[in-house]
Amino acid sequence: MDVLTVTALRKRFGPVAAVDGVSFSVAAGEVVGLLGPNGAGKTTTLHMVLGLTLPDSGTVEMFGHDMTRDRTRALARANFAASYLHLPAVLRVEEILDVYAHLYGLRRPAARVAHMLELLDLGPLRRQQFSRLSSGQQTRVLLAKALLNEPGLLILDEPTANLDPDAADRVRGLLIEQAALSGRAMLITSHNMREVERMCDRVHFVSGGRIVATGNATELAGAYGVDDLEAVFLRVARGGAAA
Amino acid sequence: MTTLAHDVAGGVARRRRVAGIVRRDFYATRRNGGRIVEILFWPVLELVIWGFVSVFLRANNVPIAVSVLLGAVLLWQVVGRAQGDLAAMFLHDVWSRNLLNVFVSPLSLGEFLAGHVIFGAALLTANSLVMSGLALLLYGFGITTIGPALVPFLVLLVAMGWGLGMVAIAVVIRFGESTQSIAWVLAAAFQPFAAVFYPVSVLPPAAEALAHAVPASHIFEGMRGVLAGQGIDWSGLAVAAVLDVLLLAGALTFLAHALRHARRTGRLSKFGE
Repeated sequence: MDVLTVTALRKRFGPVAAVDGVSFSVAAGEVVGLLGPNGAGKTTTLHMVLGLTLPDSGTVEMFGHDMTRDRTRALARANFAASYLHLPAVLRVEEILDVYAHLYGLRRPAARVAHMLELLDLGPLRRQQFSRLSSGQQTRVLLAKALLNEPGLLILDEPTANLDPDAADRVRGLLIEQAALSGRAMLITSHNMREVERMCDRVHFVSGGRIVATGNATELAGAYGVDDLEAVFLRVARGGAAA
Repeated sequence: MTTLAHDVAGGVARRRRVAGIVRRDFYATRRNGGRIVEILFWPVLELVIWGFVSVFLRANNVPIAVSVLLGAVLLWQVVGRAQGDLAAMFLHDVWSRNLLNVFVSPLSLGEFLAGHVIFGAALLTANSLVMSGLALLLYGFGITTIGPALVPFLVLLVAMGWGLGMVAIAVVIRFGESTQSIAWVLAAAFQPFAAVFYPVSVLPPAAEALAHAVPASHIFEGMRGVLAGQGIDWSGLAVAAVLDVLLLAGALTFLAHALRHARRTGRLSKFGE
């Protein structure tokens, strides 16, 4: 069963076609990657999926709910984290999670916040203000917020972009483990090809606002006659086609 | 949804989401010493200055009632604070780059505003109590001198402040962060036409016509009438109420339009950068 169905999504900003007929789906429990060079249309696509940006045409259906008509029901079952987003700087970690536990209408906010603090190893930081945390710690808080409502679909825009390799590896491990435990689907953008190879069941390469290649890492490498996703990325970014 | 959360469309979930915004505002205000100082500093400064001006004028036998000036200062700060607090609480999410997190939650625009308005009302009550206490302590002026008309005066002024606050938020969403200074100046821009310290009749004809369209002008005219012992001008209050309803309806429409526009043009996403 698909938790997300994106059909013929288009978006122009002035003369630029940021997204030009993108269609894909994400099944329950599936981890899908959206890859492509800067300006390819990945973030615009994610923002249309989340209802932050309205498409010129096309549809987004999340958990069977049309995002233009019933975004509240859809968003209650999803969540989002991005490396470029922050949380209220002056709030303590436990206060931030308490606020979002309420915004997602959780039944027992305090218990859920305590669970997330433990899961993300944030207990010692619970009384720290967000602005005083390191990048790695901030990312963990963002992920705690994103996992609060046990989303059936987790959307992540370059989730490990600000992290050192060790912290990034821990975050990836946590996300994979949590997704496997709950059967959660994930839609991820990343410029880290190893991350994508490790996490994603399926990858869509986006270039010039269009999906130009789809498959798992092995299939894509084979299609482009190269060894790995990194080489596929370079071929796509430089306008090359599959072999 | 799972048993982890209440039904997203149910009353409990809605109240919980509103409570989430109230809690966010409470935590943010409590943790921001500068904001607490700012919330009290300007109104207290204005009260002190106008208080001493009125004392000076009275000492020089200028025929002006201290109560009129201090009543005007106390009531006008209600408009300024209601507008400024509502806009500032929204801007806090913009400055924190948190706005997109809020907008990808199941929160509706109405719930978002309701939460800010509830916390704003609590903040305004605390602020007004401090100001009224100071006016009594320093100048012997009790705000209750205005009598039972004080309640509708306050309600109508708060409504005007919130209407202007929504307009300020809508302008920032519609035109971008560079317009955020409107949050600090919008209420002040209406003050010359609000008849706060002088009657509408002293204004030039064009300005007088404009003043009649400002809800606060009818309230301050009414306040002066009450303090002069003329009783409550109910027709003036009714006009102010109608103007407030029009302002709030217009502000909500503008805000909804601004949000749609920001989603259509991709401007909303820019608040995450």
